[in-house]
Amino acid sequence: MSTSTRSQRKAISFQWNGQTLTGMEGDTIAVALHRIGILTLARTRKHHRPIGYSGSYLSGVLARVNGIPNVRLDLERLTPGMEVHMQNVWPSARYDLLAAAQLLPAKMLYGGFEHSHWTPQGQRSFGVWERLMAFLAGMGEAPDPSTVVGPPQAERHRCDVLVIGGGAEGRKAANRAAASGRRVAIASRGDTLGRFSAVLGAPLENLHPAVQVFPGIEIFGAYRDGTLLVGAPHQHDRGAIAFDTNEVVLAIGRRSIPPLVPGNHIPGVMDAHSALRMAYEFQHAPGKAVAVLGTGAEGAIADKLQAQNVNVVHVGPIGALTAIRGRRRVNSINVGRVVPCDAVVHAGPWRADPNLLFQLQSEGQLQLELQPGQGRVTVARSANNGDEVVPVSAALPRSTLICPCMDVTAGEILSHIEAGETDPEVLKRLTSCGMGPCQGFPCWDAMIALLASKTNRAPSEYRLPSHRSPRRAITVAQAAGLTDVVEPLA
Amino acid sequence: MSGNLPKRASVVIVGGGIQGLCCAFYLTTFGVRDILVLDAGYWQGGASGRNGTLIRPGFASNEWTRLFSLSCQEWNTLSSKIEENVMFTRRGYTMVAEKEATSSMLRGALDVHKECKLGSYFVPSSRISEHLPAIDAHQVNSALHLPEGGVAPHHAAMKGLYAACSRRGVDIRYRTAVTGFERQQGRVSGVYVGDHCVSADTVLLAGGGHSNALAELAGVTLDGFPMRLEAMALEPMRPFIKPALALVDSLCYLHQTSRGEIVGGAEVPERPQVTLHSDLPVMSATAAVYARMFPRLGNVRILRHWAGMIHISPDFGPVIGEHPDLHGLWISAGWSYGFAGAPGAGLLLARAIAKGEIDDRMRPFAVDRFRRGRPIAEAGIVLAKELVEMDETEQPATLSPSAEGRK
Repeated sequence: MSTSTRSQRKAISFQWNGQTLTGMEGDTIAVALHRIGILTLARTRKHHRPIGYSGSYLSGVLARVNGIPNVRLDLERLTPGMEVHMQNVWPSARYDLLAAAQLLPAKMLYGGFEHSHWTPQGQRSFGVWERLMAFLAGMGEAPDPSTVVGPPQAERHRCDVLVIGGGAEGRKAANRAAASGRRVAIASRGDTLGRFSAVLGAPLENLHPAVQVFPGIEIFGAYRDGTLLVGAPHQHDRGAIAFDTNEVVLAIGRRSIPPLVPGNHIPGVMDAHSALRMAYEFQHAPGKAVAVLGTGAEGAIADKLQAQNVNVVHVGPIGALTAIRGRRRVNSINVGRVVPCDAVVHAGPWRADPNLLFQLQSEGQLQLELQPGQGRVTVARSANNGDEVVPVSAALPRSTLICPCMDVTAGEILSHIEAGETDPEVLKRLTSCGMGPCQGFPCWDAMIALLASKTNRAPSEYRLPSHRSPRRAITVAQAAGLTDVVEPLA
Repeated sequence: MSGNLPKRASVVIVGGGIQGLCCAFYLTTFGVRDILVLDAGYWQGGASGRNGTLIRPGFASNEWTRLFSLSCQEWNTLSSKIEENVMFTRRGYTMVAEKEATSSMLRGALDVHKECKLGSYFVPSSRISEHLPAIDAHQVNSALHLPEGGVAPHHAAMKGLYAACSRRGVDIRYRTAVTGFERQQGRVSGVYVGDHCVSADTVLLAGGGHSNALAELAGVTLDGFPMRLEAMALEPMRPFIKPALALVDSLCYLHQTSRGEIVGGAEVPERPQVTLHSDLPVMSATAAVYARMFPRLGNVRILRHWAGMIHISPDFGPVIGEHPDLHGLWISAGWSYGFAGAPGAGLLLARAIAKGEIDDRMRPFAVDRFRRGRPIAEAGIVLAKELVEMDETEQPATLSPSAEGRK
């Protein structure tokens, strides 16, 4: 948590789409814009629907910052004179003609611009169409030539145990291993360890002095039977780190999966992690009237928000939620009755990001499949918190988004299921679901929940599509900095 | 799954990737009916869904160029033939030389291309910036541009071929592993899926990285071995690089897809691996080539990175034709440029199977060429050859499709 209070921070002026605005030092760009009331930070790929800071869908926080495309506004801190531009708009963010794509019937864009229902087949006409398609489908422009930097040198670190995640469970595991004399490294995505645990009041052990701490590093890849793990810092001018380790402890906790209801993508819908971070780290409320919905933790999270003077107008089970309404931001929810609100915080169903575990425990020559129990990895979880089921309403409207970044609706996935296709790998290829910046989490969890509900099977009966690293956690230059750090297998 | 399999098929194709489906499609155009395609994995699960989707008509040797220029012509008319849009886009394919020695190889290739009536032309270093604005022109010695080349996204090509084959009555089964072969009097007479036997006089093995294991199952040997290749995609951007590219000296290939992702890979010298897991060196080597040749890509993020398996033959060239030791067993293997070569090879193989005509463009790639001491020398391919050339004794274990089938 930040120690400085709001009044002590300096004002900073920056540019948003050419307009000069004032923010506060220490804020991330997303929080600075949120304070000003700007919630639409990006547009979805096909329909150009407004999206923003959700904690779930990365596309909502990607913008061009100082000439670099796809910078994460929820991680990048404000600096004086910063130039921030919304992407995927034409000719400008203010007069975005591409937003007219929202009027296109959903079916027309099934499969995306690049799929083939209504594209011309002749070579010449297809060439023209392809240029248009590429323009519409690409997100930002390439980086400015002035942003070019040499590859930052990576480093290699040797340890016996690598603990991923700095929360209560991660610290416990790190301390246990260090106490037995093993060399322990602990890596955490946040600049400080265990931010979420601290807010929730979980008991946090002090780290054993022998534990080496790597804050601000996102571990994205597990290679060579789990003996080589690689992570990179968000700052593009700092090098990546390759860890040689004998054992991995995954203590990454769980995230709340967005509800499968219409409107789940509207700016103002946020997961509990992001809402608490906003309230505690930045002393800013997610909205003026906030609804908190969950699978049991909603009461505790609402209390935590209220302790920071957030106006909570509704607390209840996520299962009662049938719709979120609003155009450019949330204006109400339907939980059997209509509750006016301008922010929705979801606290469950909770699920762990399966990516690293998949990389560590999958095997197969025809398809990588999760083989629980395999490999030198331990999953640190308190006894009662496995993955929760994502509920799917029998009356789920087909317009509900399953993968907002790629504009994949329940209707599109159902159209293939109804035609007899039930293989998640194939559904992924037919729809591009989960092929945006998140690379499958939380969208494949939602897709498989939908598939299971329509086929009356358990979600666990379906094979997950392959989770692939590095999910945009590393830049080309940072990866280039790894070349002389890890040798090819001889 | 095997319960409703037919008892008999005129041709069984083992492998439902682009090789298998192309051959199945062309077989239907020659009037062959009752074709059965069996694949142990899922649709696009093999190399057909994991490759760089580059389509290249010309190489440095006459043999490769004649086969691949035919294939490129087929790509160009495939959408109208199969009545599905495969989204082949003829945006050209540029081979970039960083070294003078490579430039002279490209000049030699140009002569071959002219012989084969391709419209290729040489791009001197002075005109590189005009031809390829994104590249750092200082790094480039020259380039050879192949205007007939291009790319086609595999989802569109595989979707189109699947739809066209199904419409023409081809029976295609994924997640259906062949577990054995039946032989009678020196010829193949059927395939087993578990206990079920499908009798057929003609069987085509188009199993990609599983080719050696399938050949072994059929009781014949196939030169070469399976090997992992890796590729990666950058996050999408508006159009930045137009043609498909081979950076010959950097052993790197890439192109920008119609949804804006830059997809490509660089080869690194490593012991051949038999796995679908990716490793770090290919990602870092590819990134290093990008950062050097396209400095503006340095701050672009890597979206995903994956591995796939192919079958590598002793001369790195395709292996197509009937197996000399087992009549009725046809092979389509050895593909490292398989996506590009599939329609051409599919057409020639279908003609050979249906009409008994062995085309001159197919003959040099015969299965027994290594045995006869007639490998094909090809200098223009982007593969880390020196790593692959190793002792017979060091060859990795082959995959076992029967073990997969039991899962």
